[in-house]
Amino acid sequence: MKKILLSVLLSAPLWVLGQGFQVNLQGQKQIGMAGAGSALALDEASVFYNPGAVTFLEKNSVSAGVNPLLFKSAFKQSGSDITENVKNKIAPPFEFYAVWGPKSNKWKLGLGVYTPFGGLVDWGDNWSGRYALTSLNLKAIYFQPTLSIKITDRIGIGAGFVYNHGEVNLQRALPVNFPDGHSGHATLEGTGKGYGWNAGLYIKTLSNISFALVHKSKVVTKLDNGSAGFDVPKSLTGAFPAGNTFNAELPLPATTSLGVGIPLSQSTTLAFDASWVQWHVYQDLTFNYAQPVNGSSQTKSARNYRDGSSFKLGINHQASEKLALRAGVGYAFSPVQDGYVTPEAPDADRYILSAGLGYTPTSHFEVNASFFFEDVKSRKQKNIETGLDGTFKTLVYAPGISLTYKW
Amino acid sequence: MKRYILNSFIAAAILFTAACKPEIETPAGSTAGQANFSKYIAVGNSLTSGYADGGLYLEGQKVAYPNLIAAKMATVGGGAFTSPFFTEEHSNGSGYLALTALVNGTPTLTPVADKLAYRDAAKHLDKYSGEVQNLGIPGMRLDLSFDPTLTFSAANPFFERLLADAQVGKTNYFQFIQGRNHTFFSLWLGNNDVLGYALNGAVAVTGDPTTTLTDKVTFASLYTNMLNVLTANGQKGIVATIPDVTAIPYFNTVTVPALLAAAKAINPAATAVYIQTGTGTVRAATSEDLIRLPFQSAGLFGQGTIPYGLHPLNPIANNWVLDKDEVIKIKDYVNSYNSSIKSLATSKGLAIADTYDYFNQVKTGLNIQGVGINAAFISGGAFSLDGIHLTPRGNAVIANVFIEAINSKYGATIPTVDITQYRGVKFPN
Repeated sequence: MKKILLSVLLSAPLWVLGQGFQVNLQGQKQIGMAGAGSALALDEASVFYNPGAVTFLEKNSVSAGVNPLLFKSAFKQSGSDITENVKNKIAPPFEFYAVWGPKSNKWKLGLGVYTPFGGLVDWGDNWSGRYALTSLNLKAIYFQPTLSIKITDRIGIGAGFVYNHGEVNLQRALPVNFPDGHSGHATLEGTGKGYGWNAGLYIKTLSNISFALVHKSKVVTKLDNGSAGFDVPKSLTGAFPAGNTFNAELPLPATTSLGVGIPLSQSTTLAFDASWVQWHVYQDLTFNYAQPVNGSSQTKSARNYRDGSSFKLGINHQASEKLALRAGVGYAFSPVQDGYVTPEAPDADRYILSAGLGYTPTSHFEVNASFFFEDVKSRKQKNIETGLDGTFKTLVYAPGISLTYKW
Repeated sequence: MKRYILNSFIAAAILFTAACKPEIETPAGSTAGQANFSKYIAVGNSLTSGYADGGLYLEGQKVAYPNLIAAKMATVGGGAFTSPFFTEEHSNGSGYLALTALVNGTPTLTPVADKLAYRDAAKHLDKYSGEVQNLGIPGMRLDLSFDPTLTFSAANPFFERLLADAQVGKTNYFQFIQGRNHTFFSLWLGNNDVLGYALNGAVAVTGDPTTTLTDKVTFASLYTNMLNVLTANGQKGIVATIPDVTAIPYFNTVTVPALLAAAKAINPAATAVYIQTGTGTVRAATSEDLIRLPFQSAGLFGQGTIPYGLHPLNPIANNWVLDKDEVIKIKDYVNSYNSSIKSLATSKGLAIADTYDYFNQVKTGLNIQGVGINAAFISGGAFSLDGIHLTPRGNAVIANVFIEAINSKYGATIPTVDITQYRGVKFPN
């Protein structure tokens, strides 16, 4: 096992990413540990982190949580003395879980509703990169019914079917000017759906060190009949027809994770997760239009993402019967190659820091809170397609809270 | 108690978040380097003045590339920069062309006739008195800067408006630009020494000094004189090369293949477009022969019992055409002027904005900060409605070419211009 882990670590620079549009906020306990915990049967969020561990949960439970996320990105054009910031907009990644199974039986059912991918950036209509992008609002909501089965007292497997409801709203300015000088504007908006699965294996060794292997499949989200609106001077409406629609495909990548859980003492547990995010599926962002736009029925923007990876280490300490404290650190390698960084995902390698606490006033109720921070490294880039040339720097803050009822 | 802790935790997190913005450092800091921008003067022609859309008017003056550069110089010790702006009441200056319709790609250009700045029937423009640092004068040529007759100062209305009555007809541009105590200069002059000839279809009109081609040796010698005066007190500055005038939309919008296609649409039997060359020969035109932009709206093509331009007996007249050999000749002069400009500037240790090289890239097409720019008429974004001069966006792009050359030569850190804040052609709504 150590050898496998070691080889995973060594090969990491060859992979990539971690992030892009991935949102790693699916359970307050795990978030408090930087997103590690696939090898711990911590709570109902295992429906997402490892379906194989769900059957080892002692109680039935339902929980709901939210992590208001602030994505604070800044841009400075090369040679400029002006730093521009995205508007303060709060994205609401949320999670809902339910786990039920007859007591001391070998199986449990689970349901998860969560937001594993998304993006909310609004640079405003007047920033220096507005002809590349003014705003993006992307949401993917996964619905995942799950079955988890104990094969032995120490081995569990689980799998769930994933239905994705996706929404996208992408806007940019067009470099054509109205008589008063203001620019044209394009808005692409649509909803789509996709399917996938999530399966996991959970092994608890005799030494109580636990292992996890989890694969979440790619989910190709198809957007059909989205609206393609172009606000241009009337003399150009021939080239930018009104009432146009588009079809597009957004592939959300598969993630394979290896997890280890190590009990340090009766009250303290260490968790480590290594994830390989198969972002290579995102080669281009293509919109096919029902009516040609400015002479072409398609706009195709190369993305050429590589695969990415992330490494997360977390600790969970039960300070008292009622109070748990958590902390975590992590690092993620960006899937975005040089020349392909865009303002919709101004991605770079990033550090992750987190903290959390849990409070259990009664045997039925639990409150968990977390704070998640990401420092995305500064990255100077000239985009090959748009020529947008400058430095991006991003900080991500996400406080979160969840409530759980157990029985 | 525990809830209180939890609430404080969340409140603290939110406050923390609101306060912490990402920072981006600028490693080079803010400096003028070895240059001194406290008094910048811009010497040049229509491009320097902000002339656009076939006229000089206030909006264009405000976004002339020297004005954009000067605004950015202010952050590294640059002083005020004065320009001979038209007043708001007469903001349309000499008048200009507006795009009033675009039907199936065919533009209608209409002269703007209100708020003009003509002060008399002879079309003299409103005078501007007072300090001027944007010294760009539409139509100015290097050879005419040294006009020994001093008459050009009266003949050119853009020059005349900057002169006190007593000076009109008594000075030339070379004298005019002197004695201004500048600490830094830009010099982009010489375009009209070849453009004036090219715009007339490579026909030099007797008695019209604006249509001649300046001799190559004369050009080098006059350019030396100009630089000697501008650097007399050791001032630093920047010179710019002359773009390939045959690469501008004025010569690349009405093409021979397009004319032939239009003719064939009416008469499928049409086989060739006929032109009269500079040597008087009549022959079938090829895509290497360039037709001037105004031919589009001249209403000549295909007219008459012997259809104009479609028969060897009624060819397109020489002054509408830069034939292949004239193109070669013009390119040769541009190259010669540019090699003089570059070697003289290098010997004086001046920065060089290689606009020749840059406009060749524009002709191929470039993407800058998400904006596609090319040399296409109207849609290209860089050239204004006269097909010769720049849009505000084109001025911003060229300002950055100057700024980058200045920064690189003198170790300065003049911030670049955000080109996305400047428009291309205005499309009718």
